[in-house]
Amino acid sequence: MRTAPDETTRMKTVANKISSFVDRRQALVYPAPAVIALFLIVVIPIGYNLYLAFTKWTIGLGDPRFIGIDNFIELFWDERVLNGLKVMIYFSGLSLTLELVLGLLIALYFHREFRGSEIVQAIYIFPFAATPVAVALIWRIMLNPEIGVLNYLLTSIGLPGSLWISSAATVIPALVMVDVWKWTPMITLIVLAGLKSLPNDPYEAARIDGANTLQIFWYITLPLIRPVLIAALMLRSLDNLKEFDIIYTITQGGPGIASETLYLYSYNVAFSFFKAGYGSALMVVVFLIVLVFNVVMNRMRLSAQDI
Amino acid sequence: MASVTLKNIVKRFKAVTAVDNLSIEIQDREFAVLVGPSGCGKTTALRMIAGLETETSGEIFIGDRRVNDVSPKDRDIAMVFQNYALYPHMNVRDNLGFGLKMRKFPPSEISQRVQEAADILGIHELLDRKPKQLSGGQRQRVAVGRAIVRKPKVFLFDEPLSNLDAKLRVAMRTEISKLHRRLGATIIYVTHDQVEAMTMASRIFIMHNGALQQSGVPMEVYKQPANRFVAGFIGSPAMNFVTATLVADQGAYFVQAEHFRVRLPDVFSSRLAAHAGKPVIFGVRPEDMNEPDEAVSETRGNTVAMRVEVVETLGAETFVHLTCGSHTMVARVAVPDRLLTIGQEMQISLNMEKTHLFDEATFQTIV
Repeated sequence: MRTAPDETTRMKTVANKISSFVDRRQALVYPAPAVIALFLIVVIPIGYNLYLAFTKWTIGLGDPRFIGIDNFIELFWDERVLNGLKVMIYFSGLSLTLELVLGLLIALYFHREFRGSEIVQAIYIFPFAATPVAVALIWRIMLNPEIGVLNYLLTSIGLPGSLWISSAATVIPALVMVDVWKWTPMITLIVLAGLKSLPNDPYEAARIDGANTLQIFWYITLPLIRPVLIAALMLRSLDNLKEFDIIYTITQGGPGIASETLYLYSYNVAFSFFKAGYGSALMVVVFLIVLVFNVVMNRMRLSAQDI
Repeated sequence: MASVTLKNIVKRFKAVTAVDNLSIEIQDREFAVLVGPSGCGKTTALRMIAGLETETSGEIFIGDRRVNDVSPKDRDIAMVFQNYALYPHMNVRDNLGFGLKMRKFPPSEISQRVQEAADILGIHELLDRKPKQLSGGQRQRVAVGRAIVRKPKVFLFDEPLSNLDAKLRVAMRTEISKLHRRLGATIIYVTHDQVEAMTMASRIFIMHNGALQQSGVPMEVYKQPANRFVAGFIGSPAMNFVTATLVADQGAYFVQAEHFRVRLPDVFSSRLAAHAGKPVIFGVRPEDMNEPDEAVSETRGNTVAMRVEVVETLGAETFVHLTCGSHTMVARVAVPDRLLTIGQEMQISLNMEKTHLFDEATFQTIV
C-alpha cells in the first residue's frame, strides 16, 4: 500500500523539524544521554544521601524524619568519628606515600630497557589486575599469626613472628602492606607512561651540562613528571580514602575499632546499626574530605603543568 | 679552544652502518660544517663527538686528548640541539645557568656569565620567562646562550636553524657567523641545508651514506666537486646531469648525448683520453647555461636548442626549466627583456670551461 501524498509530506515536515532542532541545539542534544545517565546514577543518589543526612531514620522502622543538623552535631561528640579520622589519615597517608614512592622508583627501573622487561612488567601488574576481595581473602590467611605463611617465613629465618592483623599496633601497617602490594603497580603504570612521554633532549642537554644521574633525576625528571605524579595520586586517593573491600574483608575494622576508617564506620552505622540518617551524615563528611583533597591536588597539578 | 680529530670512526646500529670509517680533522677556531642529506650520518658523528653515542670503532680526539671513554660532561663541549632542548620547567636564567650550577660555579659567577651571555644575544628581557613563553627564534638564542656561558673548547650545533622560518633562518645564520668571529671558537655545525653550509662554513665536510665525500672551503667544493653526489648536492638549483658518451673525433673531445653534441675545451684533453668512447655523466650548473648573446664561453658554438617547460621568475634572476628530447635541465638566466612562453624554443649556450664530467660507473669526477 502506498502512503498518501499528504501523509508523506507531513512526515517529511516532522523529520525536517527534528533535524532542524538538532542542528540548532547541538550543545544540548548531543550531551543529553550522558547528562541524563549521570543525573540518574550520580546526582540523585548524592542528593538522596544529602537529604538523609538531615533526617533520623532507622532502616525498617518508619519513614525518615527531618531533624536539621542534629546528625552533624552528633559527629563532634562521637569518639568513633575521631578514631575513624585518625585511622583514615594513618592508613591513607602511609599507603599513598609508599605507593607513590615505590611506584615512581619501580617505574624508573622499568623505564630502562633490559632483557625480559616486558615479561617482568606483565607479572608485576598481576596484583593490580586481581579482584580486591579475592586478594584480601588470600592475604587474611597469609597474615594469620598462627597458620599464615608470613610468620612461617619470618620464623624460618630466625625472626620473631608478628601479630599482624590481630594487634591494634600492627593492623594498619599490615593493611597498608596489602594495599601497597595491590595498588603500587597502578601508580607504576601511570608514571611509566608519563616517563615514556618525556622528551629526550633535555636529558641529553643535562648530561652535557654536567649533571650526574641523581642530579638529572632531581632537577629534570622529578619536575617534569610532577603533574603525572599528582594525577596518579589523585586517582589513587579517590579509592584509597574510601578503602573498603580490603579492610572489610581482612579485619572488618578490628581488632576492636583499630582499623575502622571513617568510611567503614559510616557503613557500619548505616548497615550494621541501621542508623541510615547518621550514616548518611558521616558519608557526607567522607565525601567532603575526598572533595577537598582532590581540589587541592588538582590545583597543584595545574600549577605543576604550567611549564 | 681546541681542534677535533676523528680517526676511522665507525658507528653501527645493529645491521645499519650509520658512520663508515670517517676521518676528519677540524682545526682550532674553525667553523666546520658537516652537511649531507637526511640519514647520511652527520648527526650521529656529531653525537659521537659529544659523547651521546658510543662509536663502534675508531678514535676521537679533542685537542690532544683521546675522549672515547670520557663522559659528555667531561669533554668540555657545549651543544645546541635541533629542538633547542631547553629545560621546560626552568626560566631562561636558570636554563642558562644550569650547566654552571652543575659544575659548582659560585652563584656570583653564574650570575655574571648569564648576564654576559644575555648581553651578547640580546635576551635580557627574556631572563625570567619560561621556554614556552618564547618564540622559536628566542628559544634558539637561549639555546645558544646556554652553550656560550660555559665557555667550552668546542661548540656543537645540531641543525639549530631547521625549525625556524626562512626569514629568521637567514638572520640567525648571520648571527651565528658573527658569534663565531666574536668568540673565536671551534664550531662543528651539522645541517642538511647546503645554503647554510656554503654561507657559514670556513670548511665544509660533505657526507653521504655514512662516508665523507669531500671536504674543503665552500667555493672549492662548489667549483671542483669530487664526485657526482657532491656536484648534485652543493648548489641551488642543483647541477644538471645528462647521461652521455665521451667521443674523440680528430683530436677533439665531444659529449655526445641522446639529443645534442657539444665540444669540450682542449685543456681537458689530457684527462679525457682514458675515457674516450665510454659512457659518462655530463654536468652543467644552471648559471653556466645562457642565451648565446650572454655566453662567456670561449668555445662558442656549443649551443643547444631547448624547449621552455616552466619559467620561475624570482625578481633578480629567472630559472627556466628546459627540455631537450628526453633531457630536462634548469638554466639560470638574467631577467629576460621579453616574455618567455611555455613551449617556445630557446638557444642555450653552455659554458664548457665550467662543465663537469663524471665516470658513469664510479661517479668520480673526470673533469
